[in-house]
Order: sequence, then structure tokens, then C-alpha cells
Amino acid sequence: MSDAKAREWIEAIHQLDLPSRVRVMNVCGGHERTLSMAGIRSVLPKNVEIIPGPGCPVCVCPEEDLYLAIQIALHRDATVMTFGDMLRVPTNVPKREVRTLEQARAAGARVVPIASPSEVWDAAMANPSERFVFFAAGFETTMAPVAARIAEGLPENVDLLISGRRTWPAVATLLAGDRAAFDGLIAPGHVAAVMGPEEWLFVPETHGIPSAVSGFRPDQLLSALYSVLRQLVEKTPVLENCYAHAVPAGGNAQARRLLDTVFEIVDAPWRGIGTLPESGYGLRPAYAARDARVLHADLADESRKRMGEMPAGCGCADVVLGRIYPTECALYGTTCVPRSPVGPCMVSDEGACRIWWAGGIRSPEDLRTLHA
Amino acid sequence: MCLGVPMLVQSIEGFQAHCEAKGIERDVSLFMIQDVDVKPGDYVLVHVGYAIQKLEPEEAAATWQVLDELFESNELEEADPEGAARRE
Ligand code: SF4
Repeated sequence: MSDAKAREWIEAIHQLDLPSRVRVMNVCGGHERTLSMAGIRSVLPKNVEIIPGPGCPVCVCPEEDLYLAIQIALHRDATVMTFGDMLRVPTNVPKREVRTLEQARAAGARVVPIASPSEVWDAAMANPSERFVFFAAGFETTMAPVAARIAEGLPENVDLLISGRRTWPAVATLLAGDRAAFDGLIAPGHVAAVMGPEEWLFVPETHGIPSAVSGFRPDQLLSALYSVLRQLVEKTPVLENCYAHAVPAGGNAQARRLLDTVFEIVDAPWRGIGTLPESGYGLRPAYAARDARVLHADLADESRKRMGEMPAGCGCADVVLGRIYPTECALYGTTCVPRSPVGPCMVSDEGACRIWWAGGIRSPEDLRTLHA
Repeated sequence: MCLGVPMLVQSIEGFQAHCEAKGIERDVSLFMIQDVDVKPGDYVLVHVGYAIQKLEPEEAAATWQVLDELFESNELEEADPEGAARRE
């Protein structure tokens, strides 16, 4: 951390008269990545914990959706196209069966990893006699571009399997109990840039918890952290926008309009966590004829909805909810490593387990050196 | 996947911008920021092929610093050609 601005914030944080234990949650894989890569935890006062929370849409994509995508790839004359992270996320089927989209591809199914929805449109337009299924999981920042692409026109030969999720309802769930899961919140900068920072006002206003919208550079995260901690000390919880030049009031109105045109808000299941109210994007009825869930309902396994939990022994759901740190999962670094991931949190670039591993945190001891 | 990447706008045609970052060239949609004044020479933050906002040049450079470190550590951490291809 050589940056002078970052050093100033670190000093300012050390000057604060903080309680003996402070837990600040972030809800964005991008934030967690900067925190880990820049080693920010190691330069903070030892009583300040930063907990990675629900920041990984791949990690909470329901098992039954993955299962359906795999079955479509295996049994229908169609190409399944999905963001690269989804290919290696395991389902809970018995070992000898096809567990991932990657294995389906190895078995001869047509599965194509993409980086942008436009790749689906290009492929569909180039091959008008073939069918394509676009399997899209993501938070607001991903679903807005997906909505834009659909609103611009959906080719006749593209069907949609949508597993989009909204971020704030997960945080609302964490705050619903009598005892808050954290003392301060770093709100996600890019989600706020799209949806508007106002979505996060409920955290200070309803729950009295200090909050700040943050950018992704180390000094920006430190300034947001300072804001949250100062609010905590002064007992003046508000939502401070520490990323104002990128996050205007109201967010991106065009993006919100597009989301609203294509999707309706639905109660949606989060893998290993359960159904959270108003937490998902569902296709509007106008697109029902292109909804892969409806078109391929016969391939879905209804019983999976009940058994749609994480793989055996995987604590990913608790990691996503910030109840445990990645290192507190018994499989972390033993049977579960990026090369052979057990759970989605070790697969996705936004999963806390994978980010911590990449950041060099290998064991509970590594974590203990960071906190008092 | 949600990795926002800053890119430099080289030319614009309608809602399509031809952009460049680290020697990689891409067509990026400006559909979501059509109310924003974007010109060649500006930086935009790109999520899955769509610009979600315009960026100041310093912000773009600082974000790339963070991303460079990420890619480096990912390369060291695992021999995963699939992953490298996915991230390009
Ligand atoms: S270390 Fe692996 S098994 Fe454990 S919570 Fe993370 S992803 Fe799941």
C-alpha cells in the first residue's frame, strides 16, 4: 500500500476511538478483491473486521437452475451459452453423473462460455437454423446489460434462462433478525451506479447502521471504511456516498428503465439460503414463450428445489451470508482449492473463498494474525 | 463476470463504441449511457460488453492497477488455461 492517499486514510482510521470489536460488511466481489489483493485487513486496527457478505451471484445461483441448464445441454438440440464462471459450478448429483456444464461439454453437449450477452446474439444470428439458450446469472450490474440486449431485440432462435438477483434484499434479510450481523456496511459502488445509492438508505434509516457507498481503489475503500467507522464513533448513522463522481443520485435511469421493461421483481431462491422476498429478476409475461424454464419444464427435477443446497460439507451459504469466514470452512484449502473447487465460492472470481485463496490467505492462522 | 473493466473509446458509430484496453479491442455498447456525452478519447467502465458509466482517466488508470495485480496473482496461483481463456 504505497499510495499516499491510502496511507492518510489508514492513519485517520487508527486515530478513531473504536469499540473493542467492529464488524464491517462488504457486499461486492470487486470490493473484496481489492481488500484482499491490497492487503487492507493487515493494516487496519486489529479490532476492525471486514466481512465478505453476499457479493457473488454465481455462488447463490440455485442448484435447480444449474441442473436444468445441464439437462438442456445434454438432452435438447440447443447450445447453452453462459458467463464463464458458471461452467465449473458443481451440482449435487451423484458422482458418476454430469455435475457441471463443463462436464456436459466434455460429454459432447454444446456449452459455450461467454463474456458478453452480445456473443449469444452474434452466434444466433450467424446460425439461424440452430437454437440457443442464454443462461444468465448475475446481480444488477450484469442484469441491466442483459435487459438492454433483450430490449434491443431477441432473435427468434434464442431462449432465456434467467437467474438474476438483486443485492439489497439479501442485506435486508441479514438485518431482519434481532441482532444485526454487522456494525457497518460498505455499499457496492457499481450496483449503486446503476440502481442509485438510495436503495441502501434503509440500512442507516431503518436499522441505524452506518453505511458508505465505495469505489474499488484501495484509497476509495479506505475512505468509505473511515466514513463508516467515524459514523459509528459519533453515533450518526447515514449513507455517505464516497464514490460520488461515479454514483449519481438515482443511478442510471436508462438502465433502470431497461430492467423494468424486461424483468419483473419476484421472490427468488438463493442457493443454500432459501427464498428471499423481492430478490430476483423474472422475465415479464411478454417473454413467456422464450422462457427456458417453461419450454423445458419437463427436464426440471422438482425434488431438487428441496435438496437445492450446497455440496456436502461446503459452507458457501454461510460464507455468502457473512456468518463464517472462508477459512472457517473445513474444506477450505484441503479438498477445496481453485483447481478442484467443491463449492461455488471457490469457482467464481467473485466468490470469497477464491478471492481469499488468491490473496494468499491459506489457513485460520493466517486470519488470526489479522485480528485481535 | 461482474468484473468492470475500464476501456478507452477509439471510435463511435451509433450506440456501438470501438474500445481498447491493454491491446485488446472490443465493440462496446453505449446503449445504457446514451444520455451521457461520450467521445473518442474518453474512458468507459465496461460490464459484460456494456458501458455502465464514463470514467475519469485517473480513475481508469487506478482501476487497471488493481486489475493487473488480480490477473498476476491468478496466473501465479493456478495453471488453469480454461480460466485464462475465460478471462482472455
Ligand atoms: S472453501 Fe469450498 S467448500 Fe468451503 S465454503 Fe468455500 S467453496 Fe464451499
